Amino acid sequence: MIIKAQHSMLSAWFKSMTSLGLLLLLQACTTTTIDEFRQGATGITSEDSVVILGRRQGAAYETRAQFVECVGERMARGANAINVIPEQQFVDAMFPWFEPRTAPLRSEDLQQLMAQPLVTEIMSGFGVRYIVWLDGQTETTSRMGSISCAVGPGGGGCFGFGSWEDDSSFEARVWDVSSATAVGTISADATGQSYMPAVFVPIPLIARVEANACSSLADQLKQFVQGG
Amino acid sequence: MSNCIVTSKRAAATNGVTMMKRCFQSGDLRRALLSLLILLCLASCAARTVNVQGSYPRPNIPAIPLVLGVYYGEGLSDFMYTELSDRGEEEYLVSSGDTHEVLFNTVLPAMFERVVVLDSMEEAAARGVDAVFVPRINEFQLGMPQKTRLDSYEVWVRYNMRLTGADGSYIADWVMTAYGKATASSFSTAERGINDAAVAALRDLASNFSLGFTGVPDVRDWLQRRLSQ
Repeated sequence: MIIKAQHSMLSAWFKSMTSLGLLLLLQACTTTTIDEFRQGATGITSEDSVVILGRRQGAAYETRAQFVECVGERMARGANAINVIPEQQFVDAMFPWFEPRTAPLRSEDLQQLMAQPLVTEIMSGFGVRYIVWLDGQTETTSRMGSISCAVGPGGGGCFGFGSWEDDSSFEARVWDVSSATAVGTISADATGQSYMPAVFVPIPLIARVEANACSSLADQLKQFVQGG
Repeated sequence: MSNCIVTSKRAAATNGVTMMKRCFQSGDLRRALLSLLILLCLASCAARTVNVQGSYPRPNIPAIPLVLGVYYGEGLSDFMYTELSDRGEEEYLVSSGDTHEVLFNTVLPAMFERVVVLDSMEEAAARGVDAVFVPRINEFQLGMPQKTRLDSYEVWVRYNMRLTGADGSYIADWVMTAYGKATASSFSTAERGINDAAVAALRDLASNFSLGFTGVPDVRDWLQRRLSQ
């Protein structure tokens, strides 16, 4: 009886360790590529702030507010944290100049915008040194497999296998407010395969593609505005 | 019905089942359950009303040194859009009159030196206004995710904006459109999705109206004449 219990415990431990290993292995299947293009010198003081805004002009897609928030939060914490103004707070304070249909699309438009005394006054109040425009989205492609679930009088369960690929592609354009010029562009591309095996219960093994794109882009942006 | 419940509660200590049976036999409980069932059915069949509510920021633009009267008449205050289901039944009633008034009462005072809300067009001259602004909704369209197959609620509105003199004379008449969308997966209910898409559309209107007002040809000509006097 004792031997049987020990065997059962060992078996359960082996199964859970295998699942954990598989989970880690599969979660690691995310590739992120960061490209940086510098057009001008950068630098930031503790008095300066950065505002990160999502591009929402396109009809096909719009940069998700959650991604913008994610990048901002990551830049505002850790070593050499940067003052980041929340997107909605800035857009509301600058109304109506940074709405989807009225926001400056090129750095030249920023020069015209800064000619408005009210705009310059609010920008100075916030201490904005850099405006970062985030543009991009995450798309799900290559959906494969199927999972079927059934429920009967004796219970229920699922069986099957599904997988899909997530592809995140984001671009961050950095504008220097003090000179009203574009100082650089950083792009982040991340891809990852997610799996969903189902043996009685579906087990989602999700590749954290957008989260990886967010952390990589935020770290690179942090270095970029600090002049690194 | 209430007597029956009270009796049943008392009886529960002694013989609840017997009393419940008696209640059911008496027909009170049966009638109540039937009424409840009919009510539930009617509630599920009835169109859901969305009273659009939102807050709008004050525009940061230089004010025109004139007094503007604004009249929220028919076609704005009482505007109600009805979204029909695929079977032609009323599905959602979208009421946006109040929120439009909130929007214009926030935007116009930032655009003009003084704004007077008029109860009728006739009182414009007596209130000493330079012009009267009359906004009106011409068309309202709603895009529901289940119909468009997109992951967003969309609202599109076409307005007719009219500017007259205090005596009712023509100054300008122009059309404006506004568009707003809200990601469907962010909302637990369709009502919230419709509300946020409508608020986004109104915010779009506010930004374009406040920045584009002086660019409307007839308005621009009138302002040039009026401000040079």
